[in-house]
Amino acid sequence: MAKVVVTPEQFSFVNFDAARVAELTSKIADKVGLPADAEVRIEIDEGSPLGRTRLASLDPITITVEGGAFENAKVPRSLSDASVIDVVGRLLFRAKDRLSPGFADAPDDSDLTLQQHTAWDTYAVGRCDRAGWAPARKRRIYHFRNRHGFTDVADGVFERLWNADGLTWADIEAACAETDAARVPAGG
Amino acid sequence: MKKILPPEELARDARFVRLSMEDRFNDRRGAGGTSGRTGPMKLTPDAPQAPDRARALMHGIFVGEIQALEGAGRTCWDFEVGPGADEVPFALKLDMARQCWDEARHCEISIKLSDWMGTELGEFAESTFLYEAACNPDPILRLTGVNRALEGLAIDVFNTMREFGQSAGDPVLEFCEDWMLADEVTHVKMGSDWLRRITENDPDRRERALEFQRIVDKLFSLGGFRGEGDDSPIRLARRFREMAGFTTEEVDEISDLSKQAGEEARARLAANA
Repeated sequence: MAKVVVTPEQFSFVNFDAARVAELTSKIADKVGLPADAEVRIEIDEGSPLGRTRLASLDPITITVEGGAFENAKVPRSLSDASVIDVVGRLLFRAKDRLSPGFADAPDDSDLTLQQHTAWDTYAVGRCDRAGWAPARKRRIYHFRNRHGFTDVADGVFERLWNADGLTWADIEAACAETDAARVPAGG
Repeated sequence: MKKILPPEELARDARFVRLSMEDRFNDRRGAGGTSGRTGPMKLTPDAPQAPDRARALMHGIFVGEIQALEGAGRTCWDFEVGPGADEVPFALKLDMARQCWDEARHCEISIKLSDWMGTELGEFAESTFLYEAACNPDPILRLTGVNRALEGLAIDVFNTMREFGQSAGDPVLEFCEDWMLADEVTHVKMGSDWLRRITENDPDRRERALEFQRIVDKLFSLGGFRGEGDDSPIRLARRFREMAGFTTEEVDEISDLSKQAGEEARARLAANA
């Protein structure tokens, strides 16, 4: 079982429970297939209602999130298990990818284009779906279309990434090139 | 049937969760004027969280459409026909009935648009601020607060989202927004026309109505969320507002109120930091 550290341990702006975040993260890490001795750190900026998330490091695996990303959209300032699973599942699959030789050539997250970022997320979230974490598929395809075009080609690539396993960085790049070639310029 | 139905008695099914104004404004985490839960700055397709921010915003519009339907319907019912201060002309009721028809259609469009964008109905908490403005016991203050201030805000939002859909290449979003925008211009114009007509010989009442509008406009500039700056997530839609009966001076005033609201939000944040 992976060692999980959540910071801060106590929250004052939001009603989050660090132990619950750690419990969920530990289960997700096991299911994703991270090594049993892996250390996972979750760093929460509780002062921000925004929802940005980032895989900040691989050693130890560190995920930074703004508080809004873990929040229940229906009950502000309260923790949502579904949101934690959605964010942590996606980013731990990406961490697992980065630790594999097939993604050795992938640029740093900060250097990814929005299209690459979204394609990789789609591959990660598709695996979350098969792990039984019920991600919002329609929301994901809408996001994908925004980045890759509202075209049949983009929808086909989305399906392929969503259902894939064992991809490499080259596959992500090829997917982006395919949608780019089919993309109709906005307003065109 | 009860007159002036309080907001807490609005009927909703189990999918919807209400967010009180106190909760909304007492959140110490305020991101400062031009930011929201799903991201800061102007809503452009290349913003990292843009699709999720668009979904959240359109869900807010969807619940606003439900409340606009409820508000216009209540205005038909709450006031008798007559010349008194708590009465309305029959033609005003006809306009409100027509608005109900439009708002019901907007609800249907919004439900289909939500499905297209991958949003579940009730996915986000509902604020009832639009309906609360529609509870004013003076019909002209009610129309000014709802039709001119809040439906005016809807013009700004629809125009911004229409442009967002256009630049993102999302044909469904673009067309939905365009159609709803056309109706909103009509609704705002109804508010402008009735305000001028009914208060033609009552400058005090007109001033009270415009003051109520200023309060609502400032409150719902949402800490500078709507404005004319490059970083404003929602742009003030001057051309459409002028089509809806606003004078240039009135639009300037809303722009100034939005700036003030933004400065006050930043000052609050600095004080909380």
